[in-house]
Amino acid sequence: MKFSPFWVFSWMAGGLVLLFIGLPLANTLLSTPLENLAATLSDAEVGRSMLYTFGGAGLATLLAVVGGVPLAYLLARTEFPGKRVVEAVVDLPVVIPHTAAGVALLLVFGRQGTLGKLFQPLGIHFTDDLNGIVVAMMFVSIPYLVNASRESFRMVDAEMERVAMIDGASPWQAFWLVTLPQAWRGVLGGMLMMWARGISEFGAVVILAYHPKVVPVLIFERFQGYGLDSAQPVAVILIVVVLVVFSLLRTVLLRPEKP
Amino acid sequence: MTKCLRWLLTAAMILITAAGCASTPKEKTPLVVFAAGSLIQPFDALEAAFEKAHPDVDVLNEYHGSIQVMRHATELHEEIDVVATADDALIPLLMYDRSDPATGKPYAAWALRFATNRLGIAYTERSRYADEVTSENIWEILTRPDVRVGIADPRFDASGYRAMMVFTLAQGKQAPADLFDQMFMGQFRYPVMLVGDGSGGTLIHIPEILETKKDAHVVIRGASIQLIALLESGDLDYAFEYESVIEQHGLKLAALPPELNLGEAGMDDVYGQATVKLDFQRFASVKPEFRGEQIGYGITVPANAPHPEAAVEFIAFLLGPEGRQIMESYSHPIFEQVTADHWDQVPAKLQPLVTAAP
Repeated sequence: MKFSPFWVFSWMAGGLVLLFIGLPLANTLLSTPLENLAATLSDAEVGRSMLYTFGGAGLATLLAVVGGVPLAYLLARTEFPGKRVVEAVVDLPVVIPHTAAGVALLLVFGRQGTLGKLFQPLGIHFTDDLNGIVVAMMFVSIPYLVNASRESFRMVDAEMERVAMIDGASPWQAFWLVTLPQAWRGVLGGMLMMWARGISEFGAVVILAYHPKVVPVLIFERFQGYGLDSAQPVAVILIVVVLVVFSLLRTVLLRPEKP
Repeated sequence: MTKCLRWLLTAAMILITAAGCASTPKEKTPLVVFAAGSLIQPFDALEAAFEKAHPDVDVLNEYHGSIQVMRHATELHEEIDVVATADDALIPLLMYDRSDPATGKPYAAWALRFATNRLGIAYTERSRYADEVTSENIWEILTRPDVRVGIADPRFDASGYRAMMVFTLAQGKQAPADLFDQMFMGQFRYPVMLVGDGSGGTLIHIPEILETKKDAHVVIRGASIQLIALLESGDLDYAFEYESVIEQHGLKLAALPPELNLGEAGMDDVYGQATVKLDFQRFASVKPEFRGEQIGYGITVPANAPHPEAAVEFIAFLLGPEGRQIMESYSHPIFEQVTADHWDQVPAKLQPLVTAAP
């Protein structure tokens, strides 16, 4: 790399961005008194809340894979009228404010909503319930799964699938034996992104399911109700757990293959 | 592609420069008003009218449950110009006794009691058993397991602990003697407990963590105004709200009799039979205890308000003819005679508008 003002500028500008992301996180981590952290670690409500948050987002991701991956494959491989519209619809949850998403979900999954009423006889409720958490998380985070999967399917040469099918493979076999082995990293990356996005969701969840409280709702409630001292340790624990879990998963699962 | 990017960068630069220029001329005085959620509609109207009369001021309203309004000032140390709460007792309790570390002075030195309200039960045509509701059977309907009842969180919102008081005041009179237990037993992960207060009244203990169980028929939200949307979407059947709010939203009202609605003057002996205690072990430095009394809305200017003059102007406007007319039009009239706690500390401009509290 030749020395040039261009690189100096790029490093400086990029460094500012890293500082912008890193500073608030580092400051939160370092300025929390240890005794507060210890008390929070043994706080049963925090533990339960963690479980609902990570479990709810995980459940949302697994459920979304069932429909999201086939949709991604369709978008990568086929042309059909209105495809642009479908792609825009998939992106919608990213674009609309999440509180608006929460309101929209409440009107459909609420006790008097179309789907809420449909599920009621089965004993499945969404408001103030884990089901509601899962639905809200899924709605706002599914674009990450679909888009990442679609891109990774696009990277797979369609010609290889055709060759497999000429050799007698069924479309199922071509997908499982040819496409997926090459695209799985992208799909998994999308699942991780979706999981992470679900964990961090506040706006939509709080409207549909204030209880049981996911960690972002708990942090908000403690901040509002009791102030920084009680909100900060919860935030720290979430930040640490998320950092550890995701760096581990990234290195173990998404390590690039050596050529 | 590069052309497109270059164009975008230029556009961004122009926007940033323009934004910088736009904010420089004609600075308005920002007036930060923190108010109880039940004041949203009249205070929004008040904001518009006040800004029209004072074009140099930009009123910034923010609404929370009343206890949270206080905590924004005293625990989060936000710089607030006007604090308006649905319980005037909160100002002495949470602001007089605590000092701002920056100035060493208490957060507030005086409070005006400017309006009352009545607690009622809101419902809609779609609420379960809406066609059966009478003032006699409302309590029995509320305890039915398939009826979802919304109450504000008593830890954060005055309407929450007031609703809890109403249940104990009603039991044994308008309702069965075990109404409170019928309503709340088994609803929370850590129970809300009702005991005698030692002098014939009742004491309600609210636990530090208040979380409803799965499939509970009691629904808790941080502030009573958050219950309105759930009522409208059909996720709640009934909710405890102030009558002014119920009228503003055009909801149906199951009115409570004077001895229960906490809105009548001269009934504090009756209301005082109920006390709510918040059992906070870890977080708050004060352990709040609320004895039932006539609802009084309180307003003050915190000692650390960045714009105290504009704040006083705003309160004078609220208590003046225009403010009174606005509040009246939102079914939330201001007292004929507004009273002041620590009248001698009240800013001179407001003193003629109020009388010292007895």
